[in-house]
Amino acid sequence: MLALTGVTKTYGDGVGRVTALDDVSLHVEAGGFVAVCGPSGSGKSTLLNIIGLLDKPDAGDVSLGGERVVLAGRAEAARLRNRLIGFVFQSFQLLPRLTAWENVALPLFHRGVGRIERRAKALAALDKVGLSDRAAHRPEALSGGQRQRVALARALVGEPALVLADEPTGSLDSVSAGAALDLLRDVNERLGVTIVMVTHDREAAARCDRTINIRDGRVAGEAA
Amino acid sequence: MRAGPPPAALALEALTNLRGQGARSLLALLGIVIGAAAIVALTNLGHVAQAETLKRFEQMGVDMLVLRGIPAGEGPVRLDRETIERLPASDPDVVEATPLAIGRDGVRPLNRRQVAEEDAMIVAVTPAIFPVAGLDVARGRALGPFDACVPVAVAGSVVARDLTAGQAVLEPGERLSLAGYVFTLVGVLEPAPLEALSPVDYDRSILIPLSCARRALAAGDPTVALVRLQPEADPDRTGPRLAAALGNATATVTVRSAREMIAAMKRQTGLIARLLAGIGGISLVVGGIGVLNVMLMSVMERRREIGLRAALGATPADIRTLFAIEAAILSLGGGMLGAALGMSVTVLFSLLSGWDYVAAWWIPMLGPAVAVLVGGAFGLYPAFAAARVDPIEALRAE
Repeated sequence: MLALTGVTKTYGDGVGRVTALDDVSLHVEAGGFVAVCGPSGSGKSTLLNIIGLLDKPDAGDVSLGGERVVLAGRAEAARLRNRLIGFVFQSFQLLPRLTAWENVALPLFHRGVGRIERRAKALAALDKVGLSDRAAHRPEALSGGQRQRVALARALVGEPALVLADEPTGSLDSVSAGAALDLLRDVNERLGVTIVMVTHDREAAARCDRTINIRDGRVAGEAA
Repeated sequence: MRAGPPPAALALEALTNLRGQGARSLLALLGIVIGAAAIVALTNLGHVAQAETLKRFEQMGVDMLVLRGIPAGEGPVRLDRETIERLPASDPDVVEATPLAIGRDGVRPLNRRQVAEEDAMIVAVTPAIFPVAGLDVARGRALGPFDACVPVAVAGSVVARDLTAGQAVLEPGERLSLAGYVFTLVGVLEPAPLEALSPVDYDRSILIPLSCARRALAAGDPTVALVRLQPEADPDRTGPRLAAALGNATATVTVRSAREMIAAMKRQTGLIARLLAGIGGISLVVGGIGVLNVMLMSVMERRREIGLRAALGATPADIRTLFAIEAAILSLGGGMLGAALGMSVTVLFSLLSGWDYVAAWWIPMLGPAVAVLVGGAFGLYPAFAAARVDPIEALRAE
């Protein structure tokens, strides 16, 4: 499903040269729910950006859904992200002036889907996360947990191969965080969506099938 | 896989974004509206003023020549009356010609003791002056061929009013004391607009028969000739020929033609119109900088949104188009509103100043056209800046 082989990424030149990822190889099977763990500065974010097709590795290959990803340019990368990846961000990243369903439909808008189809699919995605009764609300009228569910619906709406969750519980209280993890687990099991979750929360990681630990730009080990 | 949202969807999205920004969008719009209104109003005013100036010229006809004697020696100018009056017969280009002798003296109605003496232009003319200069009589009659040297006078409208000192109007038949002689008033002129080609201000003149000029005027000989040409005559060629015919030992003759003056006036008003348009252009540039400012602020404030859209699959071209459409809506909308406002201002100004409102077809286009140009110039940069936003940077941290 997702495979990284020999991915290396460095920033800067000369003395200031920092190796963020050093020959990282990993594999996530289809339908898996994997946590990527590591302290800040471990290269976790860089890994996330590369898996999310937001950044290009200096060396190594990324394969998504069985095909090797070649990023020809920013436009091509954007189209691949749109088709292959659903993002869930720590701070939700909902646009405040759009309603819940409009936020959910955003990936479809940038795919060129017409408004009527957009709305239908967005409502269906909201239904999957149990928020169909909040479709016309703006984010400010929703609780933190509800916002994260809208964000998850947005990640699911384009039927991506992979949902990439970056610290999805980082902005939530423990109750909402637990609920959000339950929902991710539920979506993973019920809909068979592959999920990669980046977190530094051990408890959250423990809820996943498997944890990949990152230290100093290398895979430090896996825990099931 | 579809390429991305169609332009119509992006336009709708842009409109939604602008509405979402409320007051900020309105301020940008206002900048463009005022800029466009200024350029349209100022250009249109220049146009109206030009038309008004030319109208005054064209009322008197474009076939006029004024031949004026300039002293060539010590003595006064003495153009030959006979030569001038014979011009229509002797020169095929001339329709009518009339000599004028011009002086200045005090004039007073004899029967009105309370009225003080008024200083007036005394213009000795032949009857041909009335058709040639386009003078109409309000009361009484004009000078005729039988007035050869009868002491009769026709008063200009302002002189006639001044000589009543607020009393009953001056009627034909009253007697005027003029240069020690008594003249009988036979008519009062309608107000005649002062033309650039008028040798005298008829409103402030007393017209007397040229044959009487030697009595009433210090210098009784004609110094000026008004000539009306055939419509197809070329004033540039006829003028010098007539000037040569009238010139003599006492005077060289200069020519001024209506066409020449209209051309000069057009150049002058055109210059003013361009100047006004330039001032309008400056205000439009200021408006454009307003759009630049608002759009750049918008790009900076919406970095996170741009980054999010990019992460979710918006291509740089989509984002560029989105912001360019936002700028275009502001510019085009502001331009059209500004054009309407600018023209309203001009109509109002025309009404208040009593001028005729005219507008060339291109004036209403000017607002949106220039606004789009300026908005495009200032709106494209923010659009490109938006497309360069890096989603990783934009989405990182709070």
